[in-house]
Parts: sequence; structure tokens; C-alpha cells
Amino acid sequence: MGIDGIILMDNNGRPIIQSGFRSTSPAYPLVHVDAVNDALSKALRPQDVDPVIHVPSLNIGDAPSACCHLQSSDVRVLCSISGNVDPLFGFAFIQTFLDILQEYFGTVSAATLRENFDTVYQLLEETLDSGGHPLTTSPNALRDIVLPPSLLNKLLSVAGANINTTINSGSGLGGAGGPFSSPIPWRKAGLRYTANEIYFDIVENLVAIINRNSVTLSSNVFGKIEANAKLSGTPDCILSFTNPNVLVDCVFHPCVRLQRWSQHKSLSFIPPDGKFILSEYRYAPNASRASSTVTPASSSREGVTLPFALKPEIDLQDYSASFNIIFTSRLTAKSIENVLIEMNLGEGASGIKCVASRGTASWAFDSQKRVLKWEISNVPPSSSWNLRGSFSTPTIAPRPSRALQVHFDIPTHTFSSLKVDQLKVSGESYKLYKGFRGRSTGNVEWRW
Amino acid sequence: MTSQQYLSALSENASRLGMRLQESISEHTRDLNIARGSGAAYLDTSDEKTKNIKKQLESSSEREKLDAMKRLVALISKGRNATEYFASVVKNVASPNLEIRKLVYIYLLKYAEHEPDLALLSINTFQKDLGDSSPLIRGMALRVLSGIRVGMVGSLVVLAIKKCAKDTSPYVRKGAALAVPKCYDLDNTHLPALIEIITTLLQDRSPLSLGAVTVAFEAVCPTRLDLIHQHFRRFCKLLVEVDEWGQVEVMNLLLRYARTMLVRPVWKDGVGGGVDEDEHELDKDLKLLLDSVKPIFQSRNPAVILAATRVLFYGAPPSYWSLFVNPLLRLLATSREVERVVLADLLIMTRTEPHLFSSHYTRFLVRSDDFTQVKKDKIRLLLNVLNIDNYAAIMREFIDYAEDINDTVVTEAIMALGQCATRIPECMPQCLTALITMIKSRYDIVVSSAVMVLKRLVQLQLSTQVTVAYASTSQSPLSIISHLARRIDDIKHAQARACVVWLVGQYGASEEKGLGPEGLADWAPDVLRKLAKSFAGEASLVKLQVITLASKLFVLSPNDKTLGLLAKYVFSQARYDVNYDVRDRARMLSSLLVGVGLEANGVDREERAGVVLRREQVRLVLFEGKAVAGEEHSVGDHKALVGSLSRVTGKSMQGDEILPDWLERGVESSLRDSEYDAPPPPPVATALSSSKARAIGPSVSSPIVLTPTGGTSPIPGSRGKGPWTDLDSFYADEEEEDEESDEEEEDGESDGEARTEEDESEGEISGQSDSEKGSKHDA
Repeated sequence: MGIDGIILMDNNGRPIIQSGFRSTSPAYPLVHVDAVNDALSKALRPQDVDPVIHVPSLNIGDAPSACCHLQSSDVRVLCSISGNVDPLFGFAFIQTFLDILQEYFGTVSAATLRENFDTVYQLLEETLDSGGHPLTTSPNALRDIVLPPSLLNKLLSVAGANINTTINSGSGLGGAGGPFSSPIPWRKAGLRYTANEIYFDIVENLVAIINRNSVTLSSNVFGKIEANAKLSGTPDCILSFTNPNVLVDCVFHPCVRLQRWSQHKSLSFIPPDGKFILSEYRYAPNASRASSTVTPASSSREGVTLPFALKPEIDLQDYSASFNIIFTSRLTAKSIENVLIEMNLGEGASGIKCVASRGTASWAFDSQKRVLKWEISNVPPSSSWNLRGSFSTPTIAPRPSRALQVHFDIPTHTFSSLKVDQLKVSGESYKLYKGFRGRSTGNVEWRW
Repeated sequence: MTSQQYLSALSENASRLGMRLQESISEHTRDLNIARGSGAAYLDTSDEKTKNIKKQLESSSEREKLDAMKRLVALISKGRNATEYFASVVKNVASPNLEIRKLVYIYLLKYAEHEPDLALLSINTFQKDLGDSSPLIRGMALRVLSGIRVGMVGSLVVLAIKKCAKDTSPYVRKGAALAVPKCYDLDNTHLPALIEIITTLLQDRSPLSLGAVTVAFEAVCPTRLDLIHQHFRRFCKLLVEVDEWGQVEVMNLLLRYARTMLVRPVWKDGVGGGVDEDEHELDKDLKLLLDSVKPIFQSRNPAVILAATRVLFYGAPPSYWSLFVNPLLRLLATSREVERVVLADLLIMTRTEPHLFSSHYTRFLVRSDDFTQVKKDKIRLLLNVLNIDNYAAIMREFIDYAEDINDTVVTEAIMALGQCATRIPECMPQCLTALITMIKSRYDIVVSSAVMVLKRLVQLQLSTQVTVAYASTSQSPLSIISHLARRIDDIKHAQARACVVWLVGQYGASEEKGLGPEGLADWAPDVLRKLAKSFAGEASLVKLQVITLASKLFVLSPNDKTLGLLAKYVFSQARYDVNYDVRDRARMLSSLLVGVGLEANGVDREERAGVVLRREQVRLVLFEGKAVAGEEHSVGDHKALVGSLSRVTGKSMQGDEILPDWLERGVESSLRDSEYDAPPPPPVATALSSSKARAIGPSVSSPIVLTPTGGTSPIPGSRGKGPWTDLDSFYADEEEEDEESDEEEEDGESDGEARTEEDESEGEISGQSDSEKGSKHDA
């Protein structure tokens, strides 16, 4: 199972960087770029573009192929596959590669890719075999082979005194710090830090659908434990929680010992160096209800209380519509941040007039996507906000989307109230600094 | 390496580094500018920038060379032809600077094919590098050597792969495995040697290279599943430690092996039996496979989850299936693109096994910001998992989706609503109410879709004569038709309009004595009146139905004078229509109606030849035999397998996999016995990894060099034991010249034949069959 190649494309549909495509004809990548650009230009709405595009064969006798693509900031990543390759394989690789780029350059954008195109090429060479099979995708191992583009590295490589040269001469660091010398595939060998520290961020995302009677149709909390380890040597960590039973459908970084989790519900692992995602889980409130005292709100069937209430009043008239949306925080102690409420006003909507109450709220209209955006940067506890306005349409019956998308952040809050019991580190004797933090985000569809 | 050595190495390097830094301090200041300056400048490939490349490549300064190489790579990425620099680039292939070298490799891999002679100059360097002390250099050398696609170095590459396959570093062995398919592509005469290499690599104890070996196996000799016998159990045990990409490959191979070599698992039809109940019935090797797949569901990689799901769905009894339900549902939330693909799989599974997912229907609710394709798939999925417990909620969802801003989604949702009503009779009243409300909608697409669905439902009810309890009389089929007939002015969409007209004609008969003409429902003639008036402006689709309506009403009530005039008016309009279908239909129907008394278009009765039908006969012709069209099926994906490409594109893709069927009896399980099972896996990798192998405790580290006969000795041994379940078929097979055709199902046997030949020809025989069968490689 291998992909045919990968193409990084800018916003104008021009390829910036592409992998070798050595097993295919030279026209093959071009056909795929064309197919994607064509689909993008034909679509009325961005959602209409299928993320997997069928590409008919160029010559009679060739196999038809497909192109998986996704947008990440202003870069579109294409992955061509043919034969009997699972498109998920393609998407999984795209995601992995984007993560690597993120790790290397901080941000992934057309500008950074152009800036560091030689590094990107080297990364492609190391992560993707010319047969389309992923090679080394662990960031720790990659950092040994492809140097991240730092000022120092540029200096060193120019001076010709870099570590690589030494490796090449067959002496020096070859044994202890050279590439592929680590017995643990995901961890660099021989790491030394003056200050040893490890941080865990628990990030939970609430995904819910509320119907027009404010009844929760579905709500799920998906959590992630992001870690950032800066530890010397080979530390063996055991992370345990006071309430691990609220976690279901858990998946882990390869470093986590699965046996240990299934038996003791604690995470035992030797961390990779740097940032990584230790675990992902789904919050099962029903399991927690028995053990904790959280009282589920009456409006929420599955026990996750929505932190806000929305009251959209939308009146559709001939050739126009008016609306009045009220957003109320239900939290009593914490404030909700970065609230973004989006509504698609439908084809041809224009003449938008809006009044957003209070100063910190603002609204904008994306005329390309026909989306009205209402942003409130900070909603203090129990406060109420509203947006009233109107728009007109060329057709007699305005046809806005029947749902509002609400995105929000709540810092220092987790829906699951997952508590870390302790973090034990064995195998190394130094003292280390540990940090834990919770954060919540939400993505709620509110129908009206 | 001890810490002292490490420290000394470090200090040695530090001092060396310092020296070099001092030496080139003047250069630094210049390079700072470059480092700050945009790398994107290299992408400026104007002529004056490129003309220096050659000079730079020949220069002695590494900085200049690096600069030139970056420019070259920039040229490549812009799609420009950079072959003219080939000779200068090749000289730098042995550059001590790794970064330059990597860029040279990128260039070589791109252009070596075009300049084979010059490329040969670089071969020596690579061969030297194969003996380098760093696994990175060895691996890279092999990768480039196997990648430069120059035919004449084929045998050299084979030698290099053979050497690397025995390397101490698993990274290099992985590279060797990946080089095998490339070498095979280049020149397939090396097949026997390559199979030998694969046989060696299959014995590799490190999980790191296992995925790559599987890739090589699948590419070069996918039918030689007999090579896997010995390793099956070990692969199962190692599976959890293989890297994520390798896990996908290995699981696909193991599933294929199981379906080809193991006995069909038997299970009771009742799904109620728990895992425990089935355990004693399962083949122990199959059970080993299934158990080793279980922990894989805790991987973060969606492709891995799906591959594991495939193993369970196609390889396990239904009692195991609950294991993949939650992991798959979790994938739906990982990213929009992944959601799109996984939904395609869920669709396939729910078609036969809706019970697995029906209680989780809330995870499939459509969000207004979903991809259009996702919305459609979710609607179909909800329909698949529809049952008596969740129908009310799902129906309410469909009604909501009818307000989507995308027309195709609206149509799908309303169609689905109709399907609800046909599948679960209990929801018919609610469904009809919703549809009738939709007819009043302001949106054309809603109205027309609702009309189409109503037509189907009404027709279905009237044709099957099933008496369903209606909530009110307004929901009886006939009153729906009358309702539609009265709203004909509001129904704009041509197809929907044609539908209504047809319904009115078909079901316009009435025994009751009404206000209108005898034998007709009182709403029917008015529809004809309106349409006769607007005939010229209708779409031809509607016109055809109007003619039919006129004929039907006339046949039902031939004595009504007004109706006769109306029909006559419609027919004369149709006679001069621009559309020939309309003219044809009018001519056909008017001659049919002659016997009833219609004297349309001034044709004299006497002039007409042929048979004239009586009124009852005409009625039969016009009204009978209108069967309800069957449910529309989404095309194409019925045969698609979970995890295949065609299930996502909805089109047949070449190279679609066909899942082999189970063997009724399976091959002898002793074939899979091997000495590898006895000692625990190697200590280094496992002691620190996440596996359960840790529990085994201090392991006896067996020497890397296996028994010298490791590759070959078990094979004659197993032959001696008589692995063939059927002697006759063994001999029959041997006599047969042409074994390709049945190799698929009798893999074990045909390979047995190959084994009786000399080593050399063994490879060739299956090699031939490979290349003939495997359109996969040729394509």
C-alpha cells in the first residue's frame, strides 16, 4: 500500500513542491493538480468539493487514480493514489507530513515552504520512499537526519563543521548520537538538558448539535493530552489520573505501554523528545456520574452541560430577512473566550446591516463564502450579548442555512474534570519540573 | 558505548567545531546575510541567476556548491529541465557535506534515467558508501543506488540489496526491503535472487523492518504465501511493535494469508454468543491473529484503525465485530477528510450489519458545515441504521435536512424520508404530514422532491392495497392526490408537475357522483382545464403527461361534452408541437381513442385502417400495468470492500482487490510451526517498547545469525511431513503444465510443486506466474 506522490500547492493552485512521482509518467502529477483546481473552481461552495477526487486515466489502459486533498492554512496538500490504496492511508500520511512541517518550521504556509524548500525536499526524501511507502516519520528520528533550519545550523553547514561531516568520517558521535542509533525508535538517544521539564496540556473539544427546541441531539467531548517533554536521558514516566474511568475510546502514542493501561489505567511511557500527543480519548460522562458529583444539566441528555445558550430569532420575508441573535453565557465563574458564531446567509445575500451590542463584539461578512461572522473576544460569566441585523437577497425566498455554528474557547476548564493524580519518573535521578493545564474548545451547531 | 567514550567523542567534536568556526569566521558574516535572507530567493530562476550554477558547482567552496545545488533543486521544483548540469553534479556525489550530498541525491534520482552513462560514474561512490559505518549513509546509498533506474546496474543493485539485507541496522534492512520492488520493476529477471532476499528478510527479528518486507513481498511475489507459513505466528506477535505504516501492510498480508490458508471459522448464526463461547471453535492461529489485532485499535493513525477493522470484519466471527465500532466512530471526529472516507466504510458495513451501529445513530447526524458528500453519505447511513427504535428521531432529522442550502442534499433527504415510510410503516402518517407541508414550501427544490416522493408513496399504497391506518382522512392516498391537484399552479418544477398530472390521470376515476362529469373525481377535470390553457408554455415532459391525462379522462367519461372539447383542444395543440415526442404521443393516443369517439384532428373514421379498440380495451391499455418503480440504489459500491479505493470514488478502480474465500479445511497447522516461536523476541527493542513482550522477562538473546539453514531447511522438512491435505491433488497438480489458473485457490499445492524443482527454477516458475497474473506490477 503506497501513495503515488504528494504535492504542496499554494492558494492560486500552483504547485510549490512535489515529491518524485518516479513510478509514474511526468504528466501524472499535472493531471492531479488540474483535477483538483478544476473541482475547486467549479464548486459553488467550498464544501461541495469532495476531498477524494476521482481522476480518470490519462491514457487508455492506465488505471484511473484518485487525489486526496486537504487545505491547511494557505497550502493545499494533494496526495495521489491509485490501485487499491486506502484513501485514509493518503490522508494519514498528509497529516503526518503536515505535523512534521509544523514541527520544523513552526507554521505551515506557502511562504515558509518557499523559504525552506530545500529542507522540505529533504524531508520528503526521508519520509517518503520513491515507491510511495512512508519511511521515517517520527520527528525525533528525523531531526537527526534532516537538520531543522535554524540560524546556527545554517552557519554550521556553511562552515562545513556540522555533525554530519563527522558522521561521514566514521568517528566521533557515530555511536552515541548518530542517526538510528537510538534503541527506541521514537526517542533521540543521548539527550541532555540543564533544566528538565515536562508539560501536559489537556485539550478537550465539545462537538454538539442542538435542535431548534434547544434540545441536545448529540454531544461528544473529544480530548487530547498534548505533551512537551524536555527530559535528559531515558526517563520512564508513569502518569496516573484520579478519575481514569471517564476516558473511553482511548488511543495512544506508540510510546505508551498498552498492557499497563488496560490493567492499571495509568499511562506508562518513555516520552519522545519535544512536543507530541500522548493520548486521545472520548469523555464518557455516564461513567463519571457515579464517581463524581457533577450534576448533569437538564437540557443535556448526555451529561455535558453547554456553557452557553443561544436564542436566534430569524424572520424570513420576501427578498430580505432580519435576525436577532442572543448569546448568553451559562458559566458562573469562568469567561468564555474567542466566541465565533457563523451563519451562512445563502446564495446572493447582500446588503448586510448589523448592530453588535457592546464594544468587544464585532461582525464581518465573508462575501465569498456568504458567511456572516460574529465574534466576541471575551464573554464574562453570565453575560448576555446580541446581534441584530438584516440582509437582502435577489430571490424572493431567502435561503440561509438553518443552523448557526458556534466556536468557543474556555481556558483552564475541562469538561471531563480529568485530574492528574501523579507523574512518576524512574530511570533517571534528576529533579524535574512538571506542569499540567486544561483547556476546552467547542464546536456547536445550533439549529433554528 | 560507555559514557566515557561518549564524553570524549563529544569533547573531540566540540573542539573540532570550535576550530572550524574560527577558521571561517570571515565567511560567517557573509553567511549571516544569506541565512537571514529569504530562501525563497532561490526560487527566482531568472537566467542571470542560473547561468552561474555550473561555475558554482565546480568551485571549491562548499558554500558555493550548496548554493548551486539549492538553485538546481529550485529549478526542479519549478518543473524546469536541469539535465544540462548533470556532469557537474555527479562530481559532487562524494561531497563530505551531507546536505550537499542529499541535494545531489535528489537531483540524481530525478535525472539518472536520462543520463545513464554519466550516472554510472557515481556508482562507485555508492558502493563505497555501502560499507560506511553510519547506517544513515549505508541506507541512503542503497536508496539512491536502487532508485536511479539504470538498467545495466541491475545485478549490482541485487548484490547491494543482498548485502544490506544482512546489515546489523534495522534501518538499513528496511531500506533493503524497499529496494527490492524497485529492482524488480527495473528488471524482473532478477526475481529468483530477489525472492531469496525476501526469504532472508522475512526472518528478520526486528519489528522495524517488517512493514517494508511486507511491501516487498506484496510487490514481488504476492502469491508465494507459502513463504509466510513459518512466520505467521511471529508476525502476529510482533504486530503491535511494528511502526504504524508497517502495521497496515502487515495486517493486510495476514488477513490475506488467513483467508487463503486457514479454515473458515464457523459460528452460530445467533449473534448473541459472546466472545468466550466462540473461542473453542476458532482455529488457534486465527485466534492468535485476532487477538494480536485487538490492541492495534489504540493506534492514533486512522489508516491503522481501518486496516485492523478489515481484519476483524473479513476475518472474524461476528462476536468480534463490536470491537471496531467505537474506534471507527472516534475516527469520524478526527478530521473532516477522514470522516468522509470512514463514512464510506460504514455504509458498506451497515448494509449487511446495521445492528452494529444503529444505537449510535446520533454520531451520524448531519451538520450544516459538513462536506456535501459527507451529508449525502450520512443520510444514506442513517437510512441504513433505521430501525423501529430510532425511526422517529431519524425522521425528524430528515425533515430538518430538507432545509439545507444545498439542493442535492435536500433531494436526498426528502427521498430518504420517503424510504423511511416504506421501510417502517408506523411512520407513514408522520411522513405524509411532513411531505404535504413541504409542498407549501417557498423553495422549488423542496416542493418538487416532495411531490416525487409523495407520488411514489401514493402509488405504492394504491397498488399494494395495504390498508394502513391513517391519522386523518387527509392522508388517504386519494385525498393526497386531490390536494396535489389543487396545488398544481404552485408546483413549478417540470418533473414534479408531470408527476402530479400523471397521478391525476391515473387515479382520477371516481364512482361517487360529484359535481363534475360522470365517473370522474371532481378535482380532475379542472387540472386538465388549467393545463390545456397553459399547454404551449409547459415543458415537453409535462406536455406528454397532459396528453395522457386528456386521453385518460376522456376514456373515463366519454359522454361529457366539455371534456371531449378539452381533449380535442389538447390534441390539436400537441399535433403542431415542436417536439416530435409530443407529436408522436398525440398521434398514437388519438388513434387509440378513435373507438371511444374522439374525432380529433379531423381524421375521418372511414379513412382509418387497422384495428379499432373498444372503450374497455382502451381503458386497459391506458391504465393497467403501471408497476411501481423499485427503490433506487446507489450504484457501484455494492461490491466494494471496506478499505478499498473504489468504495470512496464510487467507481471501479483497476487493481481492486478481491478477497480470497476461506478454505473449507485449511492447510495443515503444523506448517506454521517453526523454531522462531520458541525464543522470545530480541531484547533491545522490546524491553523499552510498549509491548506485552515485556512481561516475558529477561530474555535469552539468541544470536543474530540464525541456523544457517534457516531459510531452506524447514521447507524440505515440511514436505516430508506431508502438508498436502490431499495427495491426489498434489500429483494432479504436478502433472499439470499450466498451473497459473488455479494457483489462487490452491496456493499450497502449486507451491509444493515448485518446491520439487531445483531452487533456481522454483523461483522462475512462480516468477512467470507472478508476472502473468500480476497486472499490478505492470500497470
